[in-house]
Amino acid sequence: MSSRILYVNLSERSSRVVDRPDLFSKYLGGSGIASKLLLEEVRPGIDPFSPEAPIIFAAGYMTGVFPCMVKAIAMFKSPLTKNLGESHSGGHFASALRFAGYSALVIHGASEHPIIIKIIDDEVKVKMADSLWGLSPLDVEKALRECSYDGMQSVISCGKAGENLVCYSNVIVDRFHHFGRLGLGAIFGSKKLKAISILGRKGIPLENPLAVKEIYEKLHHKVVTSDEMSKYHNLGTSANMLELNELGALPTHNFKESRFKDAERISGETMAESLLRRKISCPGCPIACIHLAGLKTSFAPEHERGKKEIFYEEVLVPYNYEAMYALGNNLLIKDKRDLILLIYRCESLGLDAMMMGTVLAWVTEAFEEGRITLDETLGIKPAWGDAEAYIKIIDNTVEMKNKFYAKLAQGVVAASEKYGGREYAMALGNNGMAGYITGYGAILGPLVGARHSHLSNSGYSIDQKIINQPISIEQIVDFLIDQEDWLYVLYSLGVCYFARRIYSKEVVCEALKTLGIDKTQDELMKMGKEIFHNLYKFKVREGFELSEQNIPKRIFEVQTPHGKLEFEKIKSMMDYYIKKREKEGLHLKPEAKALKELLK
Amino acid sequence: MKFHIEVVHPERCIGCYSCVYACSRHLFNIIDPSKVAVFVRVNGTLANPFTVIACRFCKNPECALVCPRGALQPLPEGGITLIVSKCEGCKTFDCITACMIRALALDKMTNFPIICDRCGDCAKYCPHNVFKYEEMK
Ligand code: SF4
Ligand code: SF4
Ligand code: SF4
Repeated sequence: MSSRILYVNLSERSSRVVDRPDLFSKYLGGSGIASKLLLEEVRPGIDPFSPEAPIIFAAGYMTGVFPCMVKAIAMFKSPLTKNLGESHSGGHFASALRFAGYSALVIHGASEHPIIIKIIDDEVKVKMADSLWGLSPLDVEKALRECSYDGMQSVISCGKAGENLVCYSNVIVDRFHHFGRLGLGAIFGSKKLKAISILGRKGIPLENPLAVKEIYEKLHHKVVTSDEMSKYHNLGTSANMLELNELGALPTHNFKESRFKDAERISGETMAESLLRRKISCPGCPIACIHLAGLKTSFAPEHERGKKEIFYEEVLVPYNYEAMYALGNNLLIKDKRDLILLIYRCESLGLDAMMMGTVLAWVTEAFEEGRITLDETLGIKPAWGDAEAYIKIIDNTVEMKNKFYAKLAQGVVAASEKYGGREYAMALGNNGMAGYITGYGAILGPLVGARHSHLSNSGYSIDQKIINQPISIEQIVDFLIDQEDWLYVLYSLGVCYFARRIYSKEVVCEALKTLGIDKTQDELMKMGKEIFHNLYKFKVREGFELSEQNIPKRIFEVQTPHGKLEFEKIKSMMDYYIKKREKEGLHLKPEAKALKELLK
Repeated sequence: MKFHIEVVHPERCIGCYSCVYACSRHLFNIIDPSKVAVFVRVNGTLANPFTVIACRFCKNPECALVCPRGALQPLPEGGITLIVSKCEGCKTFDCITACMIRALALDKMTNFPIICDRCGDCAKYCPHNVFKYEEMK
């Protein structure tokens, strides 16, 4: 398998290829490679916006070879957390990179003028791109899409939010996917890097094609027929909305409630019946979890000269549960079209919908409490369920219209530290919370997870499985640790999170064998743990203190399927977690400072 | 076992490339979207539906007609076969461009056109029934 890393320097407009078989034989690919490159390439304490701050992309080891091997990993220094930036994306990116003959891409330097990187196999160019600056990622995708009869292309780009250095701006991948979290868009913006286009036209050779085919067929069949996967295919993750509502775990009204009385009006079921137009998939994955809604807007009313409008224009907007929770139930948005409109605004500007939703919720509450006034908001009155006001706030945030909006552009924690209301600034590890108030796992998981994502260790999922079961908090912590270590193995291979249950340890060992890699389950687990340790080494080096992580007080005031969560319980879970991780030899801050103090 | 395959519902395509990957695995023991006889094409933007192309097994194949060396031989059941000894790998792209729907690609390594051998794998792996396929008697 390829162990070639493509280095591009934007300041010099140069590129070179470095072969690193040492790295790849140890970590295989994806997150493993990226974690090591991060430690190698990022100078301690570097400013995320410094030209030398690199962007690292890595494709999984099995990209394209087995079903659902699609994920690309991005690592960088996050402008949001000033610490580890790690974000994963589906779409064509990892595949195109592999087909172009590379397993990783590292970008250094910065440009004074807008540029793009254009890669066609061995041909790598840094090109002027003033004409793309200011365009939405959706327009950039159209502009850079090649009319090619062969190969596979990926186009990724930041939006206005990234250009303006909004700390939670994202990079949109092939129109409908995202490097969504922790602000990669702003790193693009700081480098004046508008987009990357990769056209890969080479192949991925197979050492043992017969064995690959045999396993491929088995796994493909499993993915297509198993019940686990049909959820993603049918309604997509938006099915969560009603399931969580039923359970009383649906964050609503900025986490004041865990049920939304209008959930049915914006649910996945409603979307599927009314607005769903198409579904699309990542290359090599037959699931098609990406659901696209048709957003109709009236076509040039002035054109119709006051007559009843007959023409509509329609754009396709990807929706999934996280965006729906953040911009929907959590803001008491009850009109499905309003919800899609808000999602579309985030897509067009290149914003992490989850953090944007969290910010809007905080703004609404802070306004209600009089912590901010019309002076700050420039005359806009934020109100629950008012999509029109929210859109104006989003636009002003991206434009950083005044000091207040510039603060909002730094994220919900920064805003609450300035204006107050930290107790309802719903972030964990500085990252906007995901849409699950399911129990202890949903809180501790993102808090301890290397990238502070609900997907770090599936805490929200274990919560749902253990309702009414006598499971100790230690067992939950053990699960979180095992799960995160294992997921880093899967992310080294390129597995999509949604297919995690297909790729059990046995299956992974068997699949690796067909590619000439003989690793036992224990060896793989060790590798996953090491990747996690690499990332924490980076985090601690950059000043992260696990024991000092803040939990918004609101968390302890809302009903969950496990009752009201208790601070003391989370604290003991955290203590136990830290003890266990330290026993593994991981250096965290030795004394766990009382979390209580931090709740002030 | 040979199959008659036909793209009947391109509008259902989700762009999963399962067909494309299956084809390159089958024909060349490789994963390579360029070395295939079935194509999933993006039309200007991913917002547009995909175009799915497979050989139509023409009765009077245009691709065969243009080959000056008669290397592409029409088959009685429709479609073509490649007589490797006659093909020069001429790189004029005549056969490739003669096919109106561009169902032929050139193998960049050998410069031979890539011919569908009716294995049916693309159709079998398609999760959305874009293809119709049946065994040929
Ligand atoms: S499940 Fe969805 S995100 Fe994952 S690989 Fe398939 S289409 Fe892509
Ligand atoms: S039938 Fe076989 S050879 Fe022909 S296009 Fe399909 S997979 Fe390729
Ligand atoms: S397998 Fe079917 S759905 Fe998937 S890309 Fe091919 S034609 Fe489209």
